[in-house]
Amino acid sequence: MSSGQIAIAPVIPFWLILLLLLLGLGLILHQYLLIRKRVGGSKALMISLLRLGVLSLLVSFFLNPAFLERRKHTIRPPLAVLVDSSQSMGLTGNDGTGSRLDQARSVLLQEKSALLKALSEKFEVRLFAFGESLRPIEAGDLPALKGYGRRGDLTDSLKKLSGKSSIAILLSDGNVKWEGSASTHLPVFSLAAGDSEGYRDLLIKAVKAPLLAFRGREVVIDVTVKAYGYAGLTLPVILKDGSNLLTAKNVRLHGNHAEVTVPLSFTPEKIGSPHLSVSIPSQYGESLTSNNGVNLSLKVIKDKIRVLMISGSPSLSYRLMRTAFKNDPSVDLLSFVILRTPSDVMNVPLQEQSLIPFPVETLFSKELKDFDLLIFDNFPYNLYLQQSYIENLKGFVKEGGGFAVIGGPFFSREGGYEADGLGEILPVRFTGKEAYQRDFSSGVKLSRAGMVHPITCLSPDEGDNAGLWKEMAPLDGINLLEVRRSGTVLLESNDGTSRPILTVGDYGKGRVLTLSTDFSWKWYMGMVARGRSNVPYLLLMERMVRWLTRDPSLDPIQIILPQNAGSAGRESEVRIKIRDEGSSFDLKNKVSLQVFNPEGMKIESQLKPASRSGEFTASFWPEKGGAYRIRVDSPAGHQEESLVIPVPGEDLDGAPDPDRLRTASLSTGGKFLSTGSDLLREVEAYAAGRRENHFTEERSLILWGRPYSFAFILLLLTGEWYLRRKWGLR
Amino acid sequence: MISRRHFLSSALSLTAGLFFSIPRPSRGKNFPQVFFAQIKYRGGDWDPNPRFAEAMIDELELRTSIDGLKERRVVTLSDPDLFFCPFVYMAGKYEFEPFTSGEREAFRRFLIFGGFLFAEDTLGAKGFGFDQSFRREMKEILPEYEMKRLLPDHSVYRSFYLMEGIGGRQKVTPFFEGITIDHWTPVIYSQNDLSGAWARDKFGKWINECVPGGESQRSSAFKAGINLIVYSLTSDYKKDLIHHPFIRRRQNL
Repeated sequence: MSSGQIAIAPVIPFWLILLLLLLGLGLILHQYLLIRKRVGGSKALMISLLRLGVLSLLVSFFLNPAFLERRKHTIRPPLAVLVDSSQSMGLTGNDGTGSRLDQARSVLLQEKSALLKALSEKFEVRLFAFGESLRPIEAGDLPALKGYGRRGDLTDSLKKLSGKSSIAILLSDGNVKWEGSASTHLPVFSLAAGDSEGYRDLLIKAVKAPLLAFRGREVVIDVTVKAYGYAGLTLPVILKDGSNLLTAKNVRLHGNHAEVTVPLSFTPEKIGSPHLSVSIPSQYGESLTSNNGVNLSLKVIKDKIRVLMISGSPSLSYRLMRTAFKNDPSVDLLSFVILRTPSDVMNVPLQEQSLIPFPVETLFSKELKDFDLLIFDNFPYNLYLQQSYIENLKGFVKEGGGFAVIGGPFFSREGGYEADGLGEILPVRFTGKEAYQRDFSSGVKLSRAGMVHPITCLSPDEGDNAGLWKEMAPLDGINLLEVRRSGTVLLESNDGTSRPILTVGDYGKGRVLTLSTDFSWKWYMGMVARGRSNVPYLLLMERMVRWLTRDPSLDPIQIILPQNAGSAGRESEVRIKIRDEGSSFDLKNKVSLQVFNPEGMKIESQLKPASRSGEFTASFWPEKGGAYRIRVDSPAGHQEESLVIPVPGEDLDGAPDPDRLRTASLSTGGKFLSTGSDLLREVEAYAAGRRENHFTEERSLILWGRPYSFAFILLLLTGEWYLRRKWGLR
Repeated sequence: MISRRHFLSSALSLTAGLFFSIPRPSRGKNFPQVFFAQIKYRGGDWDPNPRFAEAMIDELELRTSIDGLKERRVVTLSDPDLFFCPFVYMAGKYEFEPFTSGEREAFRRFLIFGGFLFAEDTLGAKGFGFDQSFRREMKEILPEYEMKRLLPDHSVYRSFYLMEGIGGRQKVTPFFEGITIDHWTPVIYSQNDLSGAWARDKFGKWINECVPGGESQRSSAFKAGINLIVYSLTSDYKKDLIHHPFIRRRQNL
């Protein structure tokens, strides 16, 4: 529907236009009177009329005439059709032959109502695939649409459609995220797919497990089993580490829609990342079996670092170390102090002494393996330990235990420690001359390795750290030692002799350390005397313990797993941090990455340096779900971690949920319907009840700006000129 | 010439049939883990028993694995070496001048951050003289902590000997008092004049009589001294669980 009219908008004041017109008319009249005498009245009138025409047109241009055309348009309401394309829509539909997605396709394209076609006549239909994301599609894409990915977020999708659509139609099985209310005013008309009554499935709905577990402490994993259509069935819930059965418990399912939570407990014996999985056996008639098992990610660490410290004599060194260890909640300290030796006088009855026998046999033949770290503090071990105990000690370190020797006069021994074999563990040896030097009074300085080693790197700033060690009180006595080839000196005396003070090394899988002084307590009290904090000493003790016990926080290589493990078929990335502990190696060329799939086969992976020095990004493409082992090798050692990629569908609860659709529809002002024809009728009724949307299109045609206006003026002037010439006028 | 210590050591070892079956480590006397550092203060009498250290260290070395330095050292509270003294000792009979604010600040820092002080009123007069001044200073230095009687389960009574009384030259109180911060008691105080009981002249004779208990009271004083030193070097080591059954059994013997 359209209409038109002429409009004027004068470009100069109207009176001026009138004045010009009157002047023009006067001039034409004057000319008429002049030429009438020469050519006669009729010819003069003809010429004057032509001139009047030109004058009228020129003056009318000042009025800026325009032709206005108005057209009224009616808008069809925009309607969004959301076809659920999540994984559960690939499951069996109502009739048992096609999928739920087939059912939705049929409603839209094939059924009597041919919903999509019918809707398109009255609505501006926009079609969307509604899964992990909301994706616009064409009607031609519908046949190729497949059920894939996680369930969609209806609340979020409605927010996205708000303002762009006036009605939403949802074809879904109800497996959607719905927060219970929508902040939009978009009514949802939903149509359920799937057979909620005939659906049969068993699944592990939830596994509540800690991310961290402590070695030797029971871990409880709560497993929730959900069942549809298996009333009265008893089935086992199985917890495995790889292929090893850890524990299993039977659960009985009461009712057709049953949900049972069962606690599975086990005690991890080793630190690391076991490949745990929880599963329930598949049953006949299950719609889905991929959700019968779940892989778990669990890291087993030490609960407390168990430290056995044996001191050769009471000393301030012992007391302050003990204080440091006792203040660290992660350290469980058992200490023995040799308060008297057999040659000391025992001048009172036994009941008046608090001394206990040193349980050397129990400790060194039975219980040593229960500790993570053994410390000899100025301890003359050769007086107490038989050769077999020393062999046990060597085995303890070889198998991964930590061993620290704190020096002092009792630690000194002429001839060194080579004879009984303990020497081969230590990263140092005696010089063979003088074993212990008192009144030494030398400060310490960091070696090159010590500048970056986690034990002695007490401040992140290199300058501050060096200054901190420079400020440490001088030591009054040291053991005179030489470093072995296997040892790394972190601290050395600054008296010009560069004696090793703090030396570290490896033995088998274990780590060893020698602090060749019994005056480290002066570092503590020296700082206190200066009015400074005692934290550096406490930090040194903490770092020593953690490094010796291979605490993951001090590992030179750290593999940082992503918070979201990703999914099969998508690139997974992990971050790798490598700390250079002083070895002069080029990290870029000497770090290697290997990734193994759940079957143990090496797969393709990439390692790229990150922007920060010593940091890398490792990436690989997991083809399927399961535990992927990531191994990083560098000159600083190697590290392994496991990344558990979820098996597609392992967490899928595929049961149709019409109630959720009903709730969503009602809370948005829409309706939940059972057939496509009902849906069309309801949508039309809803649209009819709403005010019709239309708009008016207005077009403006400026008349004087048109070429034909100028052509017409030119024609009139040409005619006037021609007649004047013809009739002998100039 | 064989020393008293070696004579006793050899004799006991022979008696027990353990003659060097487990030899004593060659710990050098040159490497003491403990020595007495006595505080010299202004006013009063800072040194009532000048000859206590040697006798006590002798007994300490004889009975324990600890090596000590017989020569005591004298420090002032403004001396930075105070912080490197494992066992700080303070004694007196009479009222003394208040410490300066700098001295109090240093002393507080020493005690809060791991130092140890054994103080004793050798006069034994409650509320007078040294006792009055010492309590006043402790209130100034550690106002948030209170000096309290140390209960019988405190580690100082069981760090080496299982003690029931503390002995001394005089018997004013049968217990120690102390200021405890968390699980550590950096200040222990007595009015029994332990050092008076320990003191010997250069000929080896006791300088003071112990009244009223005589030699058993002196013996208890030495036990208390050894316990104090062991406590200063081991803290609450005897509170570790492993010691509990042994100590309980012996207390029930």
